[in-house]
Amino acid sequence: MDQNTVASISGLDRADLLRVLGGLPFGVAVLDSERRALFLNPALEGLTGFSSAEVAGVPCRHVLRGSFCLHDCPCPPRGQACLAGGNRSREGTLINRNRRKIPVRLTSLPVTDRSGEFLCSLDVIEDLSALKDMETRLSVSASPGQIVGRCAVMEHLLRILPAVAQSDAPVLLTGESGTGKDLLAEALHRLSPRARESFVRVNATPMPEALLDAELFGQAEGPGGAPRPGKFQLAQNGTLFLSEIADMPLAQQGRLLRLLDERAVLPAGGDRPMQLNVRVVAATGRDPEDMVRQGLLREDLFHRLNAVRLHLPPLRERGEDVPFLLAHFLKLFAAKFRKPVTGFSDEAQQLLAAYDFPGNVRELRNLVEYAVMVCPKDTVRTEHLPLPLRFPPAAAPKASLAEASQPQPDQARKPARKKG
Amino acid sequence: MGKQILVTLYRDEVAPRFDLCSEVLLVTVDATGHEVRRQDLVLASSGADDLCDLILDREVAVVITGAVEEEHYHYLRWKRVEVVDSVAGLAGDALTRYLDGNLEPGAILFPRLSHA
Repeated sequence: MDQNTVASISGLDRADLLRVLGGLPFGVAVLDSERRALFLNPALEGLTGFSSAEVAGVPCRHVLRGSFCLHDCPCPPRGQACLAGGNRSREGTLINRNRRKIPVRLTSLPVTDRSGEFLCSLDVIEDLSALKDMETRLSVSASPGQIVGRCAVMEHLLRILPAVAQSDAPVLLTGESGTGKDLLAEALHRLSPRARESFVRVNATPMPEALLDAELFGQAEGPGGAPRPGKFQLAQNGTLFLSEIADMPLAQQGRLLRLLDERAVLPAGGDRPMQLNVRVVAATGRDPEDMVRQGLLREDLFHRLNAVRLHLPPLRERGEDVPFLLAHFLKLFAAKFRKPVTGFSDEAQQLLAAYDFPGNVRELRNLVEYAVMVCPKDTVRTEHLPLPLRFPPAAAPKASLAEASQPQPDQARKPARKKG
Repeated sequence: MGKQILVTLYRDEVAPRFDLCSEVLLVTVDATGHEVRRQDLVLASSGADDLCDLILDREVAVVITGAVEEEHYHYLRWKRVEVVDSVAGLAGDALTRYLDGNLEPGAILFPRLSHA
């Protein structure tokens, strides 16, 4: 059966083509031989923000405003290349009338009559936003996130992280404040098979025990009589991160132990345990063995959580990571603030190299952010560094591990610190 | 006091995309709105960030362009640069209209077909 017969029998030779195009779920533009817009279907009108009527006769590059329009136009005027080169698809972006950049795929199809004479061109535009969002989410969930480091200890940590993430065993993260325990917990979650489920952070700050109980384990009867889920229920199938295990009262530690042993929690006021599938990651800035000795952490819970223990070293023990992190954050903040800052002067580098960073990576990050913010040219000089770093107090007291919770560039200078 | 007007170029048209433009027209006008200087600048590379830097370095007061991303639009506005964006037409026509006080964002200056 030849094409003419098919068109005749199906009625396509009498079809209302524009109405057909109007019903398609992706954008279509009908262009003339000079690639001027003749018609946009409703999907493309929605995507670009232009109506057919207002852009009829306007060159398509001013309507689609695609990244492929200026240097990689699918068809020059009269459609010669379209006819010769077929209908290759290309991906790029367009910027719509609302100034939003949208990832799209363009396929240009030349329309000819039965004798092969060019009639018009159909540009099919597919919105790839959902696809690109998905790609971004998947790539984020397969990376260690914002954790960076080049020293041997960090390299080892980043190397074993994917393997640790695959297991469901509880993890105990230790390290001083500002070393990146929160980021490491998030990275563990993102690399784990639970990455698409919830990551719930719990900060067991001091509060009345009954309230904390309800907050963590939920209530069998909340306000209005309906059960109210706690943090553990919210983390169902995902990861629960206890940001400072030492803050948790002993009674709740006992209940947490039961969760780890029995995989069940008893909501406050309830009598039936609720089965849960949650991976627990706990962190502490203190020495856990010492906490056990002091009676702040139940020994049985400690042994349960200590199944896998990851220690983040303080920055002063990360050697070559300091210059690497300085360069890393400098680049990050220069891009964020749109400033042409490219490096540190020799004097600034010496000052930073001699500094102890008691607040660890968090302090270094804040310090670089400040320096980039105030630096007017391309090089960070000593005068752009925070005052406490340039003029340290003469006899600053040494901060204990627990006290070093805030970035305080005014604390100590390098040599005297010992590992905490 | 005079001011500088920058028109992004694609051939003889206003560039359809701010971030992909590799040539600009820089026009200085005096306090009465008369053109006193015209410069065609070919950029080493196209890119919205570089173009924003050029606009601020040259103390440009007005930018006439095609599609610009929201982020760069607001950045320039924040830096007190007037942005007449989404302009579709010949660069010369757009400039003349602006100097006549007759150019609005979203202006389509190409002849259009009637959809009767």
